[in-house]
Amino acid sequence: MGIITILWEKWREFVRDFSRITLAAMVAPLMYLIVFGWGIRTTMNGQPYLYFLIPGVVSLTTMNGSFNAIAQNLNVQRLYEKAFDQVIISPTPLWQFIAGQIIAGALRGLYAGGIILLLVFPIKTGLVFNFLSFIILFLNGAVFSSIGIVVSFLARNHADVPRFSNYFIMPMAYLCNTFFSTDNIPHGARELIAILPLSQTSRMIRGIASGVQTSLAGILFLLLYLTVCTGIALIFVYQKKNL
Amino acid sequence: MIELRHLTKIFDNSTAVDAIDLIIKSGEFFGLLGPNGAGKTTTISMLSTLLLPSSGEILIDKELLSRKRQDLKQKISVITQEYSMRQDMDMDEIMEYQGRLYFIPVRKIRARTEELFAFAGLTEHRHKTIRKLSGGMKRKLMVCRALLTEPQILLLDEPTAGMDAISRRQMWNLLRQLNEQGITILLTTHYIEEAQSLCHRVALMNDGKLTDVDTPAHLIEKLGAFAVDELRPEGVRSRYFPGREQAIAYLSGIKGRCTLRDTTLEDVFVEQAGKHLS
Repeated sequence: MGIITILWEKWREFVRDFSRITLAAMVAPLMYLIVFGWGIRTTMNGQPYLYFLIPGVVSLTTMNGSFNAIAQNLNVQRLYEKAFDQVIISPTPLWQFIAGQIIAGALRGLYAGGIILLLVFPIKTGLVFNFLSFIILFLNGAVFSSIGIVVSFLARNHADVPRFSNYFIMPMAYLCNTFFSTDNIPHGARELIAILPLSQTSRMIRGIASGVQTSLAGILFLLLYLTVCTGIALIFVYQKKNL
Repeated sequence: MIELRHLTKIFDNSTAVDAIDLIIKSGEFFGLLGPNGAGKTTTISMLSTLLLPSSGEILIDKELLSRKRQDLKQKISVITQEYSMRQDMDMDEIMEYQGRLYFIPVRKIRARTEELFAFAGLTEHRHKTIRKLSGGMKRKLMVCRALLTEPQILLLDEPTAGMDAISRRQMWNLLRQLNEQGITILLTTHYIEEAQSLCHRVALMNDGKLTDVDTPAHLIEKLGAFAVDELRPEGVRSRYFPGREQAIAYLSGIKGRCTLRDTTLEDVFVEQAGKHLS
């Protein structure tokens, strides 16, 4: 019931800001596709680079869509509008609030990723995006929504969320198997990047898209991230003395 | 019934609320008075679970309050000092969100919103987003939002801050009516003369401690029911007397300008706060 309330709140927000949300979701990924895909025409493994790029850009778009939908919004509600107080005071179980935020964030990420897929649809790349792809993208969005919740709870001022985004989300967007294969990265760094959630998502989405047999062990990674971040968020809302 | 047992809140090294023990009976209209920084808002924040106590406990109807106690939170509504609302929502959305958070059926939320908006004179502004409302309208909306859930306990932290005199008077009348219906009210306010007329009992708070808890009449009686204000070059000095005769006797010995009047709760407040500040 509480989850539905939060989804209703996020739906109202989505309807209200539909054009802004849609444009914001489109601009950056579209630039990546134009610049790296059509502008700098190159190939990878004998295929147009665009075919490599699209799964990565879709993955990073769900990451950005989900993280941005939750982190900044919740940060403003907690520190500036104090609207988060309304939730804490209310009898809605706080775990349902967290679950609602994660699901809403994942759906927003999926929406952003879906827009990119629609935009590249006319290109006829032959890439496959099936039900499993969408499950993985949803899970990726859920992970980054939960990270967004944790970041917004830890933020001490309005600048902290963009700062985290600059230091962690943006490097991940470029390094995690999105724009280039991480196979040639030196040992140590390669393994470190491989365990990041976006690397797992990009690898699985690209594998499915190109029809190559791919390990789905990454789903366990994503579930682990989701569990840990959700756990931290729950500890925060139930145990933190000064919200 | 609200019971605070040794309630303490420490921020870093400063004690905001210091081992408060207090019982507020069901149906009581209770005022928490004190100067800025006395710990009133911190106490209300702990009662609304926004802050958790460093030690001590809060009992609602003899049950321990925590963030997990849905049943107890269902009984409480809070009007916080700040406008705790999403700025991009309109008034209807704010009400619906609140109702949904309290598990009220949507049809009932809408019907009750109509009533409350009509009562508060907000109907014609209902589609305005919060950021476009004046401070007074936001306050009224917060009251409507708090009443939507039909609470048994109403916590009000400076509910009339930013309201004009007419709206403030409407608000006090409303609170009186609600209390007559049996709602327990805990109020903090800087309008002490109104607390005097509304509250059954008040607690004076200073430096996180309760310095006195009593009825306004008893507190005034303890200070002295009659006050003589003496105009001196350094300002007005007030002296208090238990009887009119003693006050008049004192008055007759003064050469400068002075006035005799009834002591108010504000005098009690100023005396108590002044003692701590000096």
